[in-house]
Amino acid sequence: MANQESDKFVTITVDGITARVPPGTLVIEAARQIGVMIPHFCYHPKLAPDANCRMCLVEIEKIPKLQTSCSTPVAEGMVVKSSVPNVEEARKSVLEFILANHPLDCPVCDQGGRCDLQDFSHEYTPTTGRFKELKRIFPKEYFSPLIETQMNRCIQCLRCVRYCDQVMDVQALAPSGRGTMTEIKHFSIHELDCEFCGGCVQICPVGAITSRLSMYDFRPWMLKRADTICTYCGDGCQITIQTKDNELIEVNSTHGAGRNNGDLCPRGYFGYHASVHADRLNHPLIRQQDGTYAEVTWEDALELIAERFSQIKLAHGADAFGGLITSRCTNEELYLFQKFMRVVLGTNRIDSSARYGHINGIQALRRVQGTHRWTVTYEDIVAADTLLLVGTNITETNPITGLKVKEAVKKQGAALITIESLLPIRGTISNITTLASHHVPVHPDYFGLAVLGLIKSVLEQGLATASLSERAPTFVQSIRSAVGKVPWETVERHLGLGRDTFVEAARTFSQAKRVIILAGQGVLRAPQGSDVVTNLLDLLILTGHHGRPGCGLGTLAEENNDQGAVEMGAVAEYLPGPSELGDQTARKNLSKIWGDEIPQSPGATLMDMLEEARTGRLKAMFIVGENPVATLPPQAKVEESLDGLEFLVCQELFLTETAKRAHVVLPACSYAEKDGTFTNTEGCVQSVRRAMEPIGESRPDWEVFSALSLLMGNPIEYGEAKEIFKEIRSAISGYGLLGPSATPPRIKDEVVDRYLQEGFKTDVEVRYAFEQENTQPDEMLTLASVQSLFHSGKFSTRAKGLLQIQASGFLNVNPVDATRLGLADGDPVRLSNTRGEATTKVKLLDRVPVGVAFFPEHFDQNIRGLFSLETDPQTRVPYFKLTRVRVDRMQEEIPGKG
Amino acid sequence: MLLEKHQELITELLSRYPVKRSALLPLLNLAQREEGYVSEAAMKEIAKILDLTPPQVYETATFYTMLNLKPIGKFHIQICKSIMCGLVGSDDLIQWLQNRLGIRVGQTTGDRLFTLSAVECLGSCGTAPMMQINDDYYEQLTAEKVGRVLEDLRREGTSPLKSGPFMFPQPAGSR
Ligand code: SF4
Ligand code: SF4
Ligand code: SF4
Ligand code: FES
Ligand code: FES
Repeated sequence: MANQESDKFVTITVDGITARVPPGTLVIEAARQIGVMIPHFCYHPKLAPDANCRMCLVEIEKIPKLQTSCSTPVAEGMVVKSSVPNVEEARKSVLEFILANHPLDCPVCDQGGRCDLQDFSHEYTPTTGRFKELKRIFPKEYFSPLIETQMNRCIQCLRCVRYCDQVMDVQALAPSGRGTMTEIKHFSIHELDCEFCGGCVQICPVGAITSRLSMYDFRPWMLKRADTICTYCGDGCQITIQTKDNELIEVNSTHGAGRNNGDLCPRGYFGYHASVHADRLNHPLIRQQDGTYAEVTWEDALELIAERFSQIKLAHGADAFGGLITSRCTNEELYLFQKFMRVVLGTNRIDSSARYGHINGIQALRRVQGTHRWTVTYEDIVAADTLLLVGTNITETNPITGLKVKEAVKKQGAALITIESLLPIRGTISNITTLASHHVPVHPDYFGLAVLGLIKSVLEQGLATASLSERAPTFVQSIRSAVGKVPWETVERHLGLGRDTFVEAARTFSQAKRVIILAGQGVLRAPQGSDVVTNLLDLLILTGHHGRPGCGLGTLAEENNDQGAVEMGAVAEYLPGPSELGDQTARKNLSKIWGDEIPQSPGATLMDMLEEARTGRLKAMFIVGENPVATLPPQAKVEESLDGLEFLVCQELFLTETAKRAHVVLPACSYAEKDGTFTNTEGCVQSVRRAMEPIGESRPDWEVFSALSLLMGNPIEYGEAKEIFKEIRSAISGYGLLGPSATPPRIKDEVVDRYLQEGFKTDVEVRYAFEQENTQPDEMLTLASVQSLFHSGKFSTRAKGLLQIQASGFLNVNPVDATRLGLADGDPVRLSNTRGEATTKVKLLDRVPVGVAFFPEHFDQNIRGLFSLETDPQTRVPYFKLTRVRVDRMQEEIPGKG
Repeated sequence: MLLEKHQELITELLSRYPVKRSALLPLLNLAQREEGYVSEAAMKEIAKILDLTPPQVYETATFYTMLNLKPIGKFHIQICKSIMCGLVGSDDLIQWLQNRLGIRVGQTTGDRLFTLSAVECLGSCGTAPMMQINDDYYEQLTAEKVGRVLEDLRREGTSPLKSGPFMFPQPAGSR
């Protein structure tokens, strides 16, 4: 690989300037590095050269004909000329041919002002053309609800097609026809059905593919731009929000920018309207006697809160309070929230949405290797030679991390092992298991068992690293004996896969040089989540990969700042750092910075707070942006808990199911209206920048905490978000070197040693035990509530663009099950189990495993009641994503849904 | 459908190439032989067989003019319009055919018997003007001869005036 030869360079000159570049560099790139821009259309650094447009022709000494610089690699001593007359002449001819057909309708083209063709035409062509023939005209065809094509403008560079294939692995676009009449289509006359990542819109050098969400709404130079971070998942893509007169017009991302390198998913590209939905709260509200809300001023609302908080504190003590905050907030807000709860109210009873699963991964990482973050980065994923994905439909949950995996496999030829319930079948959106070299199809209940199978196979084949038996003999023996207690027959009975399935995967995994494990929601949000992650770390240790450069385990965060929420100490068990609540050094350090005591009492997690609210121990809650009423299943009795409170304050964008139960509702700003930082799933701290003025009277969350503290006589004041960040950096030394890439921590050897000698013993038997005997009656299906590519939580269900792709929930079932149960696509069905029943419609999907049905969690209002609820005894994570249901076809249509 | 009917042949076709998708053209050809044209259902099925997406199959299907994407008549008349045939009067023949059949190039007769296409050189310039109907060549054409061919086909379903097929190797599916 090029890395190993990085000391070798090739010297070439371009227009008289010398460039020293690694061998293999393309001439066009070498030129770019020394500031010579060679005009091009079909070339894009993300795509394999296609050399179809001929715009990039250059003269290379000793080669008789002009060469395409986009496909010619450098050679020692090469002399390239890019601005000599015959090159300019060639460019003119290329443009003349393109313009023979291009309509030049720049005045009505959304690309006008940022169009390569416009720019190059301006630079290189005479104002007249020699073509007298009629221009080619394609009849206008409807393409899709979100993406529009205007094929008369197409210059046939095929960037869109290649992007959709090479980067996205979706292959939704086809150049149809031939010659001049080539046009970009989906499948025949059918409207586009794809991932809607917007990539083709972004990569088209002209205005042939545009976004319908902003069509004809702007000229690029009218837009105000702000580079910020998407809030729809833990990947943390950099997006550029573009506004006109405080109105959101468009979102895109620049090639080379952010951790996503300019790639986005549909949520990022088309989901931006959620934050400016008409239902946004514009004023603070106070609930009246009759249950209605009155709009009040901020002063009145804050004064009431301060007064009631103070009364309750006086009457019942600090631990009568509970705080819950969404991990969609910035680090600054999460930090300030916990500081407010700890210092002003005086309680450690704080939790955030990281509790829904992310905390499971963090606890395992801390326990085994002493880090709370990944020790690897996206770059390491791309450079890995073997990847193991466990319990993650990564395309839909973390699409950009998914792109890194795709890049590793497709471009670098990495081996991919997937332990996933999806079947490796292609469809209109990509499916990571189709790229797997070893796919282990697993029922969503049994990811842990499959991991056990892999470890068992590693040990059986003698693939465990030899040195480990000396370093930690008991560790190896204990695991060996523990997995020995689960015979292959048990594995086979539950997974339907026996020893043979694991042999190759175990070998590939063990013999790899750079291995990365990614664990997803299927692991983190299911029972024993933390144990399975711990076992996966065991696997890394056993195979000798743990601690090796480029090797490591990453957990995939669902929400954009799950990672930050934990690091800011906005969870029950941690102070900022995160440091254990009882860590004396951390406490001392913090109380010095805060100039205040840190409460002694223990923290309380979400489920504990809800419980205490029901028993009357908790009197007041401060809920910021979280909506437990609509998130947890009914048997969590969230409503009952909240209604029993003496005082509930909600700070929200919308009047959610939870906010509707509050005494005071405060209007918060969306991410687009504030400054701060988010920490993504790989631990990269990135800047969030205000793109527009706050809507109505809404205010950034941190300002509200600050204002309240003032009123409560314990001021924690900051002028702007940056000042909070400064304080964070003193509380957590070196926090967030805001750089272009993540700076992963190193594993702590002393922690690993402690784990290998003693730590593992406490639960090794339990972690590797398998007791579950879930037999599923034939007429039942396992129902899994899963994340969709087109949505994120409930927030995105207010984005008009995303609603055009997916507006409601439906039950995805395998055609085999459908036939067995007598169901056809679109049939109304009744789901039922002992907890209740619900109705929905069926949609057949090949990749859903037999015996399982998927339902998008974003639309689970009606079906939530069917799920079981179980709280992790250790990490207190509530699990409510899996259940079993009977599925019956309904005779009549579902009213109002037909 | 395709797979059900031609399981063996398809397995054999796939075995010819190291990469699955290389079997795309033979499969498209097979589909066309089956229905006279490549239907959407066939393209979808081929995509599935080859692990491609339907748009990828569509891309190739639209590139080759020999593949019909719409149903055609029982007899597909492909008359050469390239230069050699042009020099010896193919234009007139095309005109004559249009008049006789009452359709224009690209159309199918109402009884779904004939579809008329004008195509590029079919490699039989030495015997120009010429046309191909289904798998057979008809050479050194005159209006009179074409008329007889049409009559034969209408009546018998075949014509002794044909000089083909000269296809080599044999098309897939004909064995
Ligand atoms: S928006 Fe659709 S067609 Fe365009 S690149 Fe993305 S997946 Fe492909
Ligand atoms: S639509 Fe745009 S990107 Fe695609 S081929 Fe045409 S010009 Fe190129
Ligand atoms: S939802 Fe995730 S992957 Fe999609 S644009 Fe936002 S951060 Fe990126
Ligand atoms: S950019 Fe080189 S040929 Fe298109
Ligand atoms: S030109 Fe008609 S067959 Fe060659």
